[in-house]
Amino acid sequence: MARTAFKQHNLGTVVGFEFMRTIKKRGFVIATLAIPVVFAIIFALVYASNSSTSANADAQKNSALTFTYTDASGLIPAPLAQAIGGSLTSDPDAALESVKNGSSEAYFAYPADPGTEPVKVYGADKGMFENGKYEAVAKHLLVTAAQSRVNSPEVTAALSGGVKFDAETYRDGRVSGGIGSVIPPLLFLVIFYVSIILLSNQMLNSTLEEKENRVTEMILTTLNPTTLVTGKIISLFAVGLLQIAVFLTPIAVGYFLFRDSVSLPDVDLSSLVFEPVPMITGALLLLGGFTLFTGVLVAIGAVMPSAKEAGTIFGPLMALIFVPFYAVSLIISDPTALIVQVFTYFPLTAPVTALLRNGFGTLGAGESAIVIAEIFIAGILILRLAVHLFRYGSIEYGRKLSIAGTFRRKELMAK
Amino acid sequence: MTLGDAVEPLVHIKNFRMDFGETTVVKDLSFDVRAGETFGFLGSNGSGKTTTLRALLGIYQPTAGTLHIGGKVFEPRDGARLGYLPEERGLYKKEAVLDVMVYFGRLKGLTKHKARTWSQTYLERVGLADKAAVRLDKLSGGQQQKVQLGVTIMNDPDLLILDEPTKGFDPVNRRLLMDIIEEQKLAGATVIMVTHQMEEVERLCDRVILLKDGTSRAYGTVAEVQDQFGGTMYRLGYEGVLPASDLYDVVRDADGQAELAPAAGADETAVLRELIGAGVAVRSFATARASLEEIFIQVYGEQHEMAEV
Repeated sequence: MARTAFKQHNLGTVVGFEFMRTIKKRGFVIATLAIPVVFAIIFALVYASNSSTSANADAQKNSALTFTYTDASGLIPAPLAQAIGGSLTSDPDAALESVKNGSSEAYFAYPADPGTEPVKVYGADKGMFENGKYEAVAKHLLVTAAQSRVNSPEVTAALSGGVKFDAETYRDGRVSGGIGSVIPPLLFLVIFYVSIILLSNQMLNSTLEEKENRVTEMILTTLNPTTLVTGKIISLFAVGLLQIAVFLTPIAVGYFLFRDSVSLPDVDLSSLVFEPVPMITGALLLLGGFTLFTGVLVAIGAVMPSAKEAGTIFGPLMALIFVPFYAVSLIISDPTALIVQVFTYFPLTAPVTALLRNGFGTLGAGESAIVIAEIFIAGILILRLAVHLFRYGSIEYGRKLSIAGTFRRKELMAK
Repeated sequence: MTLGDAVEPLVHIKNFRMDFGETTVVKDLSFDVRAGETFGFLGSNGSGKTTTLRALLGIYQPTAGTLHIGGKVFEPRDGARLGYLPEERGLYKKEAVLDVMVYFGRLKGLTKHKARTWSQTYLERVGLADKAAVRLDKLSGGQQQKVQLGVTIMNDPDLLILDEPTKGFDPVNRRLLMDIIEEQKLAGATVIMVTHQMEEVERLCDRVILLKDGTSRAYGTVAEVQDQFGGTMYRLGYEGVLPASDLYDVVRDADGQAELAPAAGADETAVLRELIGAGVAVRSFATARASLEEIFIQVYGEQHEMAEV
């Protein structure tokens, strides 16, 4: 074979190898498929339950209730009560006794002033869920009676609070999106959490594996460590996207095909407002935050001799991404509070805090620029440190790396 | 970059020093490896061989000195055709044999097809064709070594660096390994080999360096080293008790056969006179060059004696 030179373009090779071997792992397949399977089971159970509940409701609706009632208020017209199975009585004690001995299904005692006194409802016990019908019928009778007196469904609806409100707010002279504009940028926070929680362990182990398998020397003489670490991060990001896609598939299928059957909330997707600035800010915060946390985890992997020892640092680090939620009410309501400012600018709490504030519209343009720049710079610096530690640390098989030692060697080299 | 076209020497190490904290592992080491030669890197455990190779390959930052391959500091991104079999063996143990080989082949610049074809041919040759789809951690240690050797040579390297290549091999596989190294040599590769197997060195190596305590104790062709360090040996058949003498060191003595290393200035006549004068009945006496193993024992024997004192 001719001994010719070659140029290496290895990033794609590393990404492909790392991606494929991650998704081929049995544990990964089980973990990834478990969530859609659980969703499918839940949907199936909800569907079965809904069918049964619906049948029961129909049966309840069709079953006529016979009851007696007393009316101190004089609000209930007798024909109206009779139409739904009621009969007026003048002896409350006898009516109650009939219920107790089972000869009557129910007895309702309407007081002189239902506005200040409760309506007493007595019924034969038919189970927790079916017992609710007594109160429902008593209430229905009273409301219908009131409507017939007022002779105006609109007034009755207003009086009973059964009115819908449609609020509209303005910002800079334009209609603001309300909750519809909050949800889309907050999706970046969800993606951040999902990707970090699902992938953090793999990030930590990605460089530990080279060390534990004693493959570092082969790698370092074949491949630039920056290419290796970058390839691993890209592949992990791709794995994260794949996982999110797998998780969302059953929800999307359920939403678009079986929404009514599985009782999914009827979210009006058209009400979502995708404002460009918060969306771009959210995407940048997600990318910067992911880079930052990945760099930290890769660096830990390069320093620690084994996954077990790395775990001692891993836990507290993961806790940092949840810490901002201790101050979530302040983050939303008072972004100038000292703790919110600290969380906004401390690198390891910045992504979550800034993503929350971005979603709720309290992150100004200047703050956004500073936080994005900060987490990208911190992320790149940490990644460079991680590559350095991997290069000079991963050869320390079975030993914990002295970070200062790796730099001392470099200084000596420079002298 | 094609290392094979590099101006000699292919490997150039000058005034190399390596400290780890307060410990100096390599003191002041200089040597060259010429293109196309097979170079033996010898020394006892802890003498600095692996450290030197790691520094040469950029895995360690040297404390001082120049370490060049093909005229410059080694960088993987330069695409030099190098094969390195490290002392610490290891590959991705949870992956299939063929997948790992193809991955490294791709990293070394082969196309996927070529990497796969080459790997299958190699596995067939070393008797592992049926293990191609098996995870590496399901293979025996020796089988894993064979796979790692394949990964090392699959890019047809110009420079092949082997750190204790026969470690963990049985005699049959050791022979196979030696054949493969010899083929690489014949194909034009420069080979640097760390080994404790002196017969391998004598069979394969053009030149050697002998390291002790991080410094060179002998350096040159095998014959030069024999002359330089071991020099002439006296092989002796005798009866009686060998006396201690300033004229020679007893290198080996068993069952009436002995090897004596003469002191500087001592000739065979003086040695024979000393032996006969001490009442030793000399049955046979011949001069010979010391083997590398004898030189090795002599050099490191001093160390053990010092340690024992």
